[in-house]
Amino acid sequence: MSLRLQLRTRPEVPVEADALAPDRLQGLKTPEVESLPLIHGNENCVVGDFFAADGECNGELHLEGDLSRIKHLGSGMKSGTLHIHGDAGAHLGVGMSGGQVIVDGNAGDWVGPEMSGGRICVKGNAGHMVGAAYRGSPMGMTGGEIIIGGCARNELGHGMRNGLIAVGGDSGDFTGVNMLAGTIIVLGRLGLRPGASMKRGTIVTLHDSELLPTFSYACCFRPPFLGLYLLHLRQLDLAVADAHISGRYARWCGDSIELNRGEILLYKT
Amino acid sequence: MDDKVKTAETSSGHVKVVENATCTFCGCVCDDMVLTVDLDQKKITKAKNACVLGRAWFAEHVHEDNVPPALLDGQPVSVEAAIEEAARILVEARFPITYGLSDTTCEAQREAVAITDMIRGNLDTTTSVCHGPSGLAFQGIGESTMTLGEVKNRADLVIYWGGNPAESHPRHFTRYAVTPKGMFTPNGKKDRYVVLVDVRRTPSAPVADLFLQVKPGHDFELAWALRALVRGRRLDPGIEEATGIPLATLTDLAARMKSCRYGVLFFGMGLTMTRGRHFNSGAVLALATDLNEYTHFVAKPVRGHGNVTGADNVVSWQTGFPFGVNFSRGFPRFNPGEFTTVDTLSRGDADAALIVASDPAANFPKAAIEHLGRIPVISLDAKETATSRLARVAFRTATYGISVAGTVYRMDDVPITLRTAFESKLPSDEDILTALRTRIKALLLARGQAAKSRSAATRTAA
Ligand code: SF4
Repeated sequence: MSLRLQLRTRPEVPVEADALAPDRLQGLKTPEVESLPLIHGNENCVVGDFFAADGECNGELHLEGDLSRIKHLGSGMKSGTLHIHGDAGAHLGVGMSGGQVIVDGNAGDWVGPEMSGGRICVKGNAGHMVGAAYRGSPMGMTGGEIIIGGCARNELGHGMRNGLIAVGGDSGDFTGVNMLAGTIIVLGRLGLRPGASMKRGTIVTLHDSELLPTFSYACCFRPPFLGLYLLHLRQLDLAVADAHISGRYARWCGDSIELNRGEILLYKT
Repeated sequence: MDDKVKTAETSSGHVKVVENATCTFCGCVCDDMVLTVDLDQKKITKAKNACVLGRAWFAEHVHEDNVPPALLDGQPVSVEAAIEEAARILVEARFPITYGLSDTTCEAQREAVAITDMIRGNLDTTTSVCHGPSGLAFQGIGESTMTLGEVKNRADLVIYWGGNPAESHPRHFTRYAVTPKGMFTPNGKKDRYVVLVDVRRTPSAPVADLFLQVKPGHDFELAWALRALVRGRRLDPGIEEATGIPLATLTDLAARMKSCRYGVLFFGMGLTMTRGRHFNSGAVLALATDLNEYTHFVAKPVRGHGNVTGADNVVSWQTGFPFGVNFSRGFPRFNPGEFTTVDTLSRGDADAALIVASDPAANFPKAAIEHLGRIPVISLDAKETATSRLARVAFRTATYGISVAGTVYRMDDVPITLRTAFESKLPSDEDILTALRTRIKALLLARGQAAKSRSAATRTAA
């Protein structure tokens, strides 16, 4: 039986809910779940102050209500499924290493920062810094997948070291900035200055894009790996057409200020 | 009495001359002012060495004896009553924010940090709306830094990027960076090559030997192109279309930067507050870092308000981070975008605000101002502002550098001591904040004891 937590009191100020991850709630009885700690602004509270719990967690946790003010959901989770039936607040799935997070609505800033494994699927839009490194840290996500159905904002995959980020809509400025490795696929348009300071890694878009002066054109080709990635994304409900799978892509190398081993692939035909 | 302060009876009345006084109007913090103060009228009649902005700053301060030091809901009350109410608001709040701090002394800033730490609030300064992006870039890239004295004595290549010092910091050219004669720049301006990068020709342009008019919003591309050239990478001539500046000019400039003896990049808000923000400042800082492989090169933001640099220094030394710091969990966390004031207000996170020496109600985005109108606000300011008018508790304090002594930091992180011109009956920001901190501490202690005895009672009952 899965555990359902229904938001019954909307918090007045942001709540930090590190406790709400399926693996941490595994096997706990309802009163035990309701007495787990939350932080409401600067006050220590318990889950029961805001949520009504029902059922027992067998690896599946369902959260219902407008959770846009609840931060750090699914933080550090290693396994299980966290299903958010609504919007999620900032720092969703921070540092997670396994399991799956599904958000039916939109997510705030910092989706999956520094995560190392597992998958986050956001059906709506996401904010800034998806899969990014925290300020002052050199490395963003090191593994796993983040799939955003809608659009994402600036600094998508900042400092990303490995893994996959896919965006169904457009991405903001500085997509893949300081990227070390990994793959970013944006089905819509890239914002300004994609791949600035990238060392390695791949950024793909299905549209044309204005690139920095430190990127140079290499060739036009059919990247074999990309077909596999796009098929995978199609299975995850992103709108990928056959032409994208078999199409030709222009390869631009950069950033020449750094190693020049990164690539930006722009869909041609 | 301070030997730099002389009083004299003249035919026109009781006059005092304060030498080596400091102007706190802009980040230059010139400390060579000679103020003539009319003690009878309590006003500054002459400010020798000051620029037009400085003169206006000194002239506009007259002694105000009749203003009430504290207002509660717009009605005059005693300072004690106002402190009591302010302390209650802050202690009861769950997400109190402290903001401002740039136009006051370091001593007052320190008290504000202590208060925010105690109430587990959110601390931010006006840096977040001017050079906050540079603060982020320092953390990401690092800063190759200097003092303005060093620039005066050594710099032979001076680049101003995204700023108009002739109008915003009038003495920056003459006192520090362009015309003064220094140890290794004995001929002043003749020994320096000055470059100005801006989107339009400003009154600063005539000073420059080279003016680069960059396409609006393309500073990042320009810095990136210069970085590539400095590193010896090949660039496409199409760069002129992207940045508005021909490749040959950029190649020349890159060569000049690599071959100068001591180069300095001063950057302003034209860089930090346009699209790209911290990446723009980061690109300029990285350019300076790259150039250090060839010569000595430094980069420094040109800071606006008098003591905004002090705010960065005080907040950094007490919390480890310069702005956008949150204490909700009892320890400092830094996350601009989450804990910066425009965001905490626009998202409606904050439930009380302590605003020190700044006026967010006049210059923040609409959503933020609307939220400010919904929550209890405590304001400290030397003048009436839009923020003090909407504040529940408004303190009127004495002006720093005119009636309040203390420490301020110049834009190059050099601390400078203030000398006062005349006394004021109004309390200083530091006085109010110290009293507030003491009261908050007492309230928190009482609350802690009450909680303890409550839990003891529950235990006995159990
Ligand atoms: S340059 Fe700035 S600090 Fe110096 S006198 Fe003018 S306004 Fe005052």
